Amino acid sequence: MLSVISYPVFVLSVIVSLVLSISLFPVGWFEFRPEWLGLAVFYWTFRAPAQFGIVFAWCLGLLLDVLEATPLGVNALAMGLIAFLVLTIHQRLRMYPMPQQCLMVFLLLGINQMLVHFVKQMLGGEDGGFSYLWPALTSAIVWPVFCILLDNINRKLG
Amino acid sequence: MPGLRLLFVIIVSAALIVADHQFDRVTPVRSTLATGLTPVYWLGNAPYQVSDWVAGLFTTREDVKQENADLKARLLILERRALKYAALASENNELRRLMNSSELLDDRVIVSEVVGVSPDPYSHEIIINKGSSDGLQVGQAILDAHGLMGQVVQTSQVTSRVLLVSDSSHAVPVEVVRNGLRAILLGTGDSGTLDLVHVPDTADIREGDLLVSSGLGGRFPRGYPVAEVSLISKESGEPFVGIRARPKAQLNQSRLVLVVFSPNGEPTAEPDANEDTPPTDPATESTQEGQS
Repeated sequence: MLSVISYPVFVLSVIVSLVLSISLFPVGWFEFRPEWLGLAVFYWTFRAPAQFGIVFAWCLGLLLDVLEATPLGVNALAMGLIAFLVLTIHQRLRMYPMPQQCLMVFLLLGINQMLVHFVKQMLGGEDGGFSYLWPALTSAIVWPVFCILLDNINRKLG
Repeated sequence: MPGLRLLFVIIVSAALIVADHQFDRVTPVRSTLATGLTPVYWLGNAPYQVSDWVAGLFTTREDVKQENADLKARLLILERRALKYAALASENNELRRLMNSSELLDDRVIVSEVVGVSPDPYSHEIIINKGSSDGLQVGQAILDAHGLMGQVVQTSQVTSRVLLVSDSSHAVPVEVVRNGLRAILLGTGDSGTLDLVHVPDTADIREGDLLVSSGLGGRFPRGYPVAEVSLISKESGEPFVGIRARPKAQLNQSRLVLVVFSPNGEPTAEPDANEDTPPTDPATESTQEGQS
């Protein structure tokens, strides 16, 4: 739990993860792009469960829906679900060592991706096998860097 | 308490999804949010611009001069072609006017730049930097230098989203240039191949045939190249041949695109011409009758 939360860092991290969601990786690597906004939602509900919650995550997911041109509410619902799951397990999560945290990131973002994929398919999307789970894996891999980086910035500026 | 909030969020999301997908009611909300997110699109495109700028720093003067000379030579060739084309276009328009056809060939275009691609690997969409403030509307055709790229599916104030012809939910009515055979060209979800569907076994179509938009759906302007037939597979027992085509437009590479404005906005010149011609028709008919 962070003692102080730096709101500018929060805003900046959200903007950066939104930009990363639509950029950086060259065409052809989109499949493996980490779910940056999901990571941001995970981090902030994990570190500051009193300030950031389900409704906040839902609003951020709505922005991602606009960026990805999915039907409004799909990503929002999935982000709300992540926030809910983190809220229920955050006390245990804090006790976990880093590898186990990565596993939880993989599980939760996997659930997020599955929900998004499920709703998209119900609305007539195409089936891409299980490749939609790649973002969950890459997110779990970048989680330690993401978490430590944001912790450090928060400690300096908060 | 979190459970209650989750329930609330689920209900609101479900309502939004249904309203968006079934009834198309939330377009203004989406458009407003997209306008607010313009800086994000801009920042997402910034790495390309920085790399362009850095590449520009390291080009030598000789290279630039050489490129300039090449471009001038090319410009000369294109200008000659444009001169010839202008004469042909005016002649064509004149002939069409004589035939009382309501269709004029010249479409107005504006140039736009691609500022983003869809982050979803399963949808083929790009984002361009012209929006409803430039007069763009949903349904307009997008071209690059080589052929038809797609159509506008959503506009915000300063950006628009373009569905590419290779998206699996996209279809274009096309015709074969060689003989006018009509068919529908479907996207496959792979940016290098398109499917030409429902072509009967006996149709006259060959590999290498150019497919141009037929303009039949009323959505795409007529006569722009869309794809080239690359593979024809006939299987006995199947009612239709399987035809693969390669899109002419460089869907993955083009940075500059053209937005086509169909000349429907300026029909004032046409009715005048039509009103002028009918009185002359009876006259010519009567003279012909008189001659016969």
